[in-house]
Amino acid sequence: MAEMIKLYDDTKCTACRGCQLACKQWNEKKAKQTVNYGSYQNPPTLQPNTYMIIHFQDYKDSKGNVKWLFRKEACMHCSDAGCVTACPTGALYHTEFATVGLNPDRCIGCKNCVAACPFEVPKYEQETDRVFKCDMCESRLRNNLTPACVKACPTGALKWGEKDAMVKLAADRVKELGGDANTYGDKYVNGTHFMYVFQEKQPVYAALAQNPKVPLAVVAWKNVLKPLSLLAAGGIVAGSLLHYLIHGPKRVDEPKEPGESTKKAEGGE
Amino acid sequence: MFEVEKGMIQATDGFERLVHWTLAISCIVLFITGLGMMFHSLNFIGDFMGGLKSLKYVHNITGLIFGFSLIFTISMWWKEAGTPDMPADWEWIKCAGGYLWHVDNPPEVGKYNPGQKMFFLAVAACGILMVATGLLMMFQPAFLSADLLRWMYPLHALGFVTLFAFFFVHIYLGTVGNPGSVQAMIHGWVTPGWAKKQHPKWFKEMEEHGTLKIYGAEKKKETPGH
Repeated sequence: MAEMIKLYDDTKCTACRGCQLACKQWNEKKAKQTVNYGSYQNPPTLQPNTYMIIHFQDYKDSKGNVKWLFRKEACMHCSDAGCVTACPTGALYHTEFATVGLNPDRCIGCKNCVAACPFEVPKYEQETDRVFKCDMCESRLRNNLTPACVKACPTGALKWGEKDAMVKLAADRVKELGGDANTYGDKYVNGTHFMYVFQEKQPVYAALAQNPKVPLAVVAWKNVLKPLSLLAAGGIVAGSLLHYLIHGPKRVDEPKEPGESTKKAEGGE
Repeated sequence: MFEVEKGMIQATDGFERLVHWTLAISCIVLFITGLGMMFHSLNFIGDFMGGLKSLKYVHNITGLIFGFSLIFTISMWWKEAGTPDMPADWEWIKCAGGYLWHVDNPPEVGKYNPGQKMFFLAVAACGILMVATGLLMMFQPAFLSADLLRWMYPLHALGFVTLFAFFFVHIYLGTVGNPGSVQAMIHGWVTPGWAKKQHPKWFKEMEEHGTLKIYGAEKKKETPGH
């Protein structure tokens, strides 16, 4: 299967949140009672039962015009995914579509992925002791359907297609928009499989990871210390064996008593 | 093989051995369950416990037992194994106690030689590190920023690298590397020859203070321990 990308164009998004609802519907995640805190952005952040949200942001541009900026936040489906590296059970994995799948049955709720994700996407659910995140509707992809959010989008802000086509589409759109328009995702973590076309510069967007990469801590942990643990222990075992053969153990010359004191000093210890 | 014979000397009491083995067994269980989560190829270890989720619980709960026995380990051995005896210990370190090359007369050591002291300090430091990072990874408290939380994992792994390597050193030197030692942690008694050769200063001190406990000898008055 080809490498696929989901593209979000914030200039076409009206924040109708049809995608957010379709996501809940397909994944059978009931909404929870939330509190009005003065924004349509609801819930305020990703939740174990909400795999994607639309950000509502008041923004004053350089000319003093106040406008709304929208952004769909969900799993970025990294090529070099910190969560997959950190997952101890294989519950998180790369799919044939190059997205990052999640098998909740294998999840043990260790929360390694929560700490490893540079986008802070995976969310832990206390009641089930499991972590949840967007899996790009893997069950739909396997049946030649588009992700539920893309299917629901009425304006064409969300698109689904093969990587090359989507990257080109994004680049063309940026050229068409001009100004500060730019793409986000293709340059990070070896390319994400959820990509943005932004009308404003990236630092403008609230809660958007700037220059995300697999955290150094994850690299130190999984690429350095993990193999080192076996190397060090193996070296010690081999060294001990050599020490026994070459230098020999520190024997104690027991005073010769009648009986078996010499045998004891040797005996199986 | 591990019989206590007349004339042997007490090296450890029952409480020390109980604490040692609680720490040791919990540590081994933590190694096994931890490795089951560290390497996908060892995920099958979870099968013996009813799945990887149960393995996680076994790891977390055993971690608490480990932490609890670590408190006793550190408090009861700190005086004997946690404090250096300078300059004698430095002299011992310079010739590696005669363990690595031939040394005619390695400096005399007390109850614990500097190698054992370093091992003790490594276990104490790494043990605290493991419990602290483990708890933070388990509960991921809100006061810990995401950047800081991420570093708990390599720190936990660093503690494992150290403890896992030291574990094999400990096994070797506590058994075949030093014949006559292992019984100190089985029944607590060692031969006088072993005590005089391995820990001469300790032996002499006990003789001087009259605190030597000899198996089969008439009971002497107990001295206040730790």
